[in-house]
Amino acid sequence: MRGPAVPDSATPPDDALPLAGVRVLDISSFIAAPAAATVLGDWGADVIKIEGPDGDPNRQMVQGSVSYPKSPINYAWHLDSRNKRSVVLDLKQPQARAALDRLIAISDVLICNFPPVVRERLRLRYEDVKAVNPRLVYASLTGYGESGPDRDRPGFDATAYFARSGLFDAQRYEGGPPGTAVPAQGDRATAMGLVSAILMGLMRRDKTGEGSWVGTSLLANGIWSCGVVAQAALVGAFLPPRPPRERPRSALGNLYRTRDDRWIQLVIVREDKLWPGLCRAIGQPDLEPDPRFATIEARRARTAELAAIFADAFAARDYADWRDILAAADITFGVISRVQDLPDDEQAVHAGAIVPADNPEMPRTIGNPIRLDFAQPRSAGPGPALGQHTDAVLREAGLSDAEIVALQPSPRA
Amino acid sequence: MTDDTALDDELPLAGLTVLDVSSFIAAPAAAVVLADFGADVIKVEPPGAGDPHRNSWQNPNYPRTEVNFVWQLDGRHKRSVALDLKHPAGRAAFDRLVARADVMIVNFPLPVRERLRLRWKDVAAVNPRLIYASLTGYGESGPDRDMPGFDVNAYFGRAGILDAQRYEEGPPGFSLPAQGDRCAAMTIVSAILLGLRRRDRTGKGGWVGTSLYANGVWSNGTLAQAALVGGFITPRPPRSRPRNALANIYRTRDDRWVQLTLVREDKGWVRLCRALERPDLPADARFATQQARRANSTALTAILDEAFAAQDWPHWRRVLRAHEVTFGVIERLQDLPDDPQAQHAGIIAETNSPDVPRTINNPVRLGFAQPRRAGPPPSVGQHTDQVLREAGLSETEIATLRSSGATD
Repeated sequence: MRGPAVPDSATPPDDALPLAGVRVLDISSFIAAPAAATVLGDWGADVIKIEGPDGDPNRQMVQGSVSYPKSPINYAWHLDSRNKRSVVLDLKQPQARAALDRLIAISDVLICNFPPVVRERLRLRYEDVKAVNPRLVYASLTGYGESGPDRDRPGFDATAYFARSGLFDAQRYEGGPPGTAVPAQGDRATAMGLVSAILMGLMRRDKTGEGSWVGTSLLANGIWSCGVVAQAALVGAFLPPRPPRERPRSALGNLYRTRDDRWIQLVIVREDKLWPGLCRAIGQPDLEPDPRFATIEARRARTAELAAIFADAFAARDYADWRDILAAADITFGVISRVQDLPDDEQAVHAGAIVPADNPEMPRTIGNPIRLDFAQPRSAGPGPALGQHTDAVLREAGLSDAEIVALQPSPRA
Repeated sequence: MTDDTALDDELPLAGLTVLDVSSFIAAPAAAVVLADFGADVIKVEPPGAGDPHRNSWQNPNYPRTEVNFVWQLDGRHKRSVALDLKHPAGRAAFDRLVARADVMIVNFPLPVRERLRLRWKDVAAVNPRLIYASLTGYGESGPDRDMPGFDVNAYFGRAGILDAQRYEEGPPGFSLPAQGDRCAAMTIVSAILLGLRRRDRTGKGGWVGTSLYANGVWSNGTLAQAALVGGFITPRPPRSRPRNALANIYRTRDDRWVQLTLVREDKGWVRLCRALERPDLPADARFATQQARRANSTALTAILDEAFAAQDWPHWRRVLRAHEVTFGVIERLQDLPDDPQAQHAGIIAETNSPDVPRTINNPVRLGFAQPRRAGPPPSVGQHTDQVLREAGLSETEIATLRSSGATD
């Protein structure tokens, strides 16, 4: 069975995927915008990826980035380019730019994340594209927005989504450095915002027959995600930096390290019910009536003392023991998984987060987070080699063999 | 906005009726996005206190304020109907609303949906054209299907993000309130739009959904995919000993943090040296190539630490920009309200709500529509009578609902 079960469904899957017949021209690079194209492709769109002669820099990230785990398999490329067809066009060459217009004319969506100055130079602003195909939905991703003092700055999720939004700063411990993010953490979240925008554009086209501009920015998605604290900032309210684990706001809602260097996040659901069970679970039932800690107020007043007692207790056993003990005592805690736990996490398969792929190098991949009971996402094939589909796609766009040959890039040194 | 699409008179989702029976943030925020673009969102909540999220602003992990700022953000545009869905008359009245709705958004735990007959198959019987949008913590099946989902656990903890955010020897990272919820909300929106697209073509309703966990793994997709092929990375070394000094953070003299992110390193390194007024550095063999810089990252970091600490942030902002060095500044939220770029990016919107005059827009931008301007969010049951009348209930039926306790 591909994909997760959808219980209670009265709906048999459709023969066609919901985006079958939609042609997407992905002229974007890196991750945030291309990942939106990946989602559309998962649900049936024909995604044509236009790359320059050097290819999308995302092809080099596994090899070149220190933040990426090393592997002989270009897993990042496969993840972000599954089911895409690759066409190489050097858009600075007039004939290649003209060939792109032939593709624009037969496409439904164009996804672009070039900086504005590049779009102007290449005549790839919405107004340029609309002239060729007024029915096209033009999807724009920028770092910081389409206008304003930072409109021309290149955007990466670490800078635009996390740093500029105030997210990293709000994630600090007192006296500590700002928070950090995992690779592409904000990119892939932003991709879902861009998908929403594109689907609204397609919906409007269904109603009116007209194309449109739609878009989003990394910055807008970063601030949306920290909406609670951003909204608070707009009314002048702020959270102080988190106190260190040794002096938490509450010892019952704190992080503790186990003997084998795993972490348990205690979660306070009902503190009055939690307190006795917790004391027993850590093997210190005498703590419960201890006058130092008998009430919520007393525990808050002595938070460092109590946190130290718990820290010692948790450090005495391994994570697996604690998991069993806390579960038996019905104590809610948060799992701080390590990423190495994911491949064997059965729940990840049930959630559709890990799915089989049709790729001998990479037999399992990460599903996009949308679930539909009327369709299963397309099975993921390998990411394309650079220019693998140039000829086939240009032929589909009506170019003759002679025109295609004339586009061959000059040999590179 | 740089395009020339004329603004529609009508919002793109005008005419769509959304029944939002969800609570807290992730699923209700999806309803907010739909409402922003014109949907009529009917929020069904328990009589009395309503959605528990109305009290979140008092949560010790939230900033302290005098006004319920969070409710403005997560309740905007919605009409509130108070119904006790455990009460037979309340549940029956709810079916009258289901019959007229296009979309229903649910995040009750699955056993609760069974008890209240609010599974997709239950409501499909009443309205087969409905798009039923389901949010769970961990998915609709599996060993953890019944676990309550909070984003700190389901999105960030379980997906390995917090662990991967740590420094060597240090504790895991932490997430901000609802940080994952609002990301999941955009997935719910996308899923609903796909369901509506399919309905336009087939006339059929359907189930769509997502889970916090699936969104967390997607967001952590690069590392998760690497894990699936057996590739792992060791915890981040401390800032003073980074893997790459050119993708590290540096403190300025006035205690701001600059985040360097030089991706195309060879050009970037030379430009950075110019910005630092250190023409000697490119010739320094220790740092002449990418490989050398990685090997000597501690030494390089020490040099950059000293350089950045010698000037204030306004200097660095000017100079780094002038030399085209890619960087981010670690902004502080207190700068957000006055940040002109946030205005340009359409992030901050004015409201008609005297307590909370400015709010945060959803991230979708459309050339053909602006999101609706928000007034104050509803009190519990503020629109019960109006909505039930629209659904065809008579005054007598409404009065009976009230006297029986199914509404208040």
